[in-house]
Amino acid sequence: MSTSLETRPVTATPGATTALAPPRRKRRILLRLVALVVLYALWEITARTMNNPTFIPSPGAVWHQLIVTSSVHDGVRGYSGHLLIEHLGVSLRRILIGSVIGVVGGLVLGLVMGTVTWIRVVTEPVVTFIRALPPLAYFSLFIIWFGIDETPKLWLLSIAALPPVAVATASAVLGAPTGLVEASRALGANKWQAVRDVVLPHALPEIFTGVRIAVGVAYSSVVAAETINGVPGIGGMVRDAQRYSQTDVVVLGLFAIGLSGLLIDALLQVAEKRLIPWRGRA
Amino acid sequence: MPSDSEADAVVLDAVTHTYGDVTAVGPVSLNVPAGEFLVLVGASGCGKSTLLRLIAGFEQPTAGSVLAAGVRPVPGRGAGLVFQQPRLFPWRTVGGNVALALRYAGQPYGRERVEGLLARVGLHDVAHRRTWQISGGQQQRVAIARALAVDNPLLLLDEPFAALDALTRERLQEDLRRVSAETGRTCVFVTHSVDEAVFLGSRVVVLTPRPGRVALDLPIELPRTGIDPDELRGLPAFAAARAQVGAAVRHPEGVLA
Repeated sequence: MSTSLETRPVTATPGATTALAPPRRKRRILLRLVALVVLYALWEITARTMNNPTFIPSPGAVWHQLIVTSSVHDGVRGYSGHLLIEHLGVSLRRILIGSVIGVVGGLVLGLVMGTVTWIRVVTEPVVTFIRALPPLAYFSLFIIWFGIDETPKLWLLSIAALPPVAVATASAVLGAPTGLVEASRALGANKWQAVRDVVLPHALPEIFTGVRIAVGVAYSSVVAAETINGVPGIGGMVRDAQRYSQTDVVVLGLFAIGLSGLLIDALLQVAEKRLIPWRGRA
Repeated sequence: MPSDSEADAVVLDAVTHTYGDVTAVGPVSLNVPAGEFLVLVGASGCGKSTLLRLIAGFEQPTAGSVLAAGVRPVPGRGAGLVFQQPRLFPWRTVGGNVALALRYAGQPYGRERVEGLLARVGLHDVAHRRTWQISGGQQQRVAIARALAVDNPLLLLDEPFAALDALTRERLQEDLRRVSAETGRTCVFVTHSVDEAVFLGSRVVVLTPRPGRVALDLPIELPRTGIDPDELRGLPAFAAARAQVGAAVRHPEGVLA
């Protein structure tokens, strides 16, 4: 259990990194590199002096596991019959499906919440309540309802990803600038056109922040979801490795989750810059 | 109701508008014949913007009636509107803003049409730019092009040049005067600048402080076309009209009495 709680890879880092002057940027990158090298050295030294690979595996052991879990050895395919990349792929697929369902659901719900007052009054406490719950808390319920296979996992991720998008969309739609809406009405837009051409595009930056948070929540929930019947899956792999005290595999799993999380968030940031060039200009 | 109201672009009949217990405007009665360039002048808070919003259909009169082209005005039908801020949509390019207006009007919104409208307000080679990449004056020109996109008989402008620097303001005034003469549209223009009022208007109406009422209703007998703007500003008739309007703005009660 403890492993799954410690692996929260990306709790969405808000605020895009502002463009820095080239020399300052170079210095920052250099500083980060130095910090990485120092951390690595500390890890190596600690592992050697402790000399207890079950407690702290050496970097070399983790590297070795990367090769072992990524190849077929003595007729054994990777870890628990699946390559590392397959474990990760299955988890990412779950995250993708869960996030898409959650984001679409949150978008629709948020739009309705932002435009129809009585629906907002009714649903707001519910959404806030679900948002406050740790996903693992309602996972047990989904297991009872949907069994232990794929269905409860996807439900968990979808429900976990929905509230951030719904809340962000609703607040952005509510905050639609009256001046611009009026301008569109003056040009002859009907209500629906005003929503499509002004309210929605104006809400996009905030919605996108909600999406990034949602993907982050889905990411941190997938490991929890995979504590039960989670193989193949990176969370399942980590859980199994913990059972058999294969600490090097646990650490490897953490790296796989963390690095892929960083990569996905970076991709989302790039997408945001391309899709929403007017961010901060409206 | 006057019998010739069908010929008038805008008819205000004893219009009053109150916000809560504050009477902002009225009662005001005005007939604006088609093709006229009417300028409403007055100190800030005299309700001239409210009057414009009533004509646009964004507000309903508390008492009296407003007719535009013979019917109760509805926003986006029958009148183009330019605000004090350009109010462009930043998620669309400059050309995209104009194209959207054409689309709402059910007209073809191809590149040629968009570029043509931008050229009419003196803009070239900006259709592909982002709205924040052009100057404030250019943004306001785009807003005018957008309002002109629809073939509305009526153009309403609410202090559109107030936020611009003096030089840009003069340029835009000159261009608006030319465009309005070219298109022959009825214009209702709100400003607090006496100079601007006399330069642009074929008729200037001065409003009293709150609640706004008509203090002076003055036809401006200056040539609308074929005259250089500087020459126009130098005419004795220009100076006389400016003096008369200026006096009415400063002492509206005296004129009323």
